[in-house]
Amino acid sequence: MRPYEVFASRFGVRIAFNSELIVEMNQRYYLLNPRLKKIMQADFYYGGLYLGKIGPNGGFFPSFNLLNMLIAIVANKIVINQKAAWLFICGRDVFRSGVVKIMGSKHKGDVTLVLNEFGECLGFGSVMDGLASSEGEVAVRNVLDVGDFLRREKRS
Amino acid sequence: MSGKQFFIDRYAKLGWQFKEIQLTQSIRINQTNAKAKNLPVRLRKLGVDTEKILFLPMGYWIPRSVVSPGATAEYLLGLYSIQEAAAQIPALLFTALGGKMVLDACAAPGGKTTQLADLMNNSGSIIALDINKTRLTAMANHLDRCHISNTAVYNLDARQANTLNLNFDRILLDVPCSGNFTSDDQWFRRRTLADIEQNSKVQKEILSAVVKCLSPNGEMVYSTCSLEPEEDELNMDWAVKNLGLCIQKVDCIGVDGLTEVFGKKLDSQVANCKRIWPDQTQGFFVSKLKKVQAS
Repeated sequence: MRPYEVFASRFGVRIAFNSELIVEMNQRYYLLNPRLKKIMQADFYYGGLYLGKIGPNGGFFPSFNLLNMLIAIVANKIVINQKAAWLFICGRDVFRSGVVKIMGSKHKGDVTLVLNEFGECLGFGSVMDGLASSEGEVAVRNVLDVGDFLRREKRS
Repeated sequence: MSGKQFFIDRYAKLGWQFKEIQLTQSIRINQTNAKAKNLPVRLRKLGVDTEKILFLPMGYWIPRSVVSPGATAEYLLGLYSIQEAAAQIPALLFTALGGKMVLDACAAPGGKTTQLADLMNNSGSIIALDINKTRLTAMANHLDRCHISNTAVYNLDARQANTLNLNFDRILLDVPCSGNFTSDDQWFRRRTLADIEQNSKVQKEILSAVVKCLSPNGEMVYSTCSLEPEEDELNMDWAVKNLGLCIQKVDCIGVDGLTEVFGKKLDSQVANCKRIWPDQTQGFFVSKLKKVQAS
């Protein structure tokens, strides 16, 4: 399985792209449209829809394009309120008090998408004990959030 | 030949009285991503006031904001981009972008590339080039954030665009230029006429190379954020006389391109360009070119 397929399987779903339209460059994966596929040259820097990359420790970092594709098909999702959303995109974990709605698993260690009140994907995290229990505990540990775009800008 | 007074005198000879400019920040809504999301209302709830820019279809001024417009969830989700108002004009000058093969020849950091992709609704294809690899990192982040799917990026000098062996229906040539004082408070101290002439030379080289990739009925938009005629009207006059191009009239803010520059008379078509002197926006220059058709 390709790394993005392995990643999707952590959510219990299977995704399949036309493998002829997938290209890899520097351990980054891109999904091309058929027209781009025809004209792409080997030495590209970026192409089509970015799906994610292999990080320095060998783990797969999904793109937000990939997470958006998963919204419609995965079961594990939580919706969080505006204050929790702000804290989440600042890299913080989600506390139970910020969770408005839970869909799918409450089991510790499972992964879940984190959505705002508009149903937009802010990132994903791993479920903690707090999701199924009291208000004061961490419900979802932040793994990746859209604030990463700002952090990348600061790093570069 | 440099210094603030030197340039102020030049602008006066070109018909513009210098004044200090305080720019208002502006954004462009990414219509592909923000459709039916009522973004101005969402932003107001966050303390970001917006005001429609009347001369831009998706542009809004940010007259007041209690948070950084570049740090909201809406920005990070690609619902809008921060883009100076005049810089939103060049991509709007093309006709019928949907499904087209487009070259963005000097693309980084990618604000206009994402605008083109948005206007194309991610259809067709964009080939985006930039010579500066470090600027491509920012460009990749822009494309990723805005969920662009129709663009391929190469670390390539626009002067080598023909090595791609592709012909383009539309070419955006937002060439590297000397900039202007509205976006750089040290501009008058830094710039000399020699710099401007060097930039003008590079711009002509880029024009000469890129025109070879333009389809016979294709359109090319040339733009700079320079107020210096060597990078603007004089280059367009040169392109008409040397590259077999004609200049189409464009409909946007600004005054007609100058047809007489420091005593030199230029081709009358140069009046079809638009020169945007700094006022509400930064200074800018735009021109739309096509190949002269053989009769």
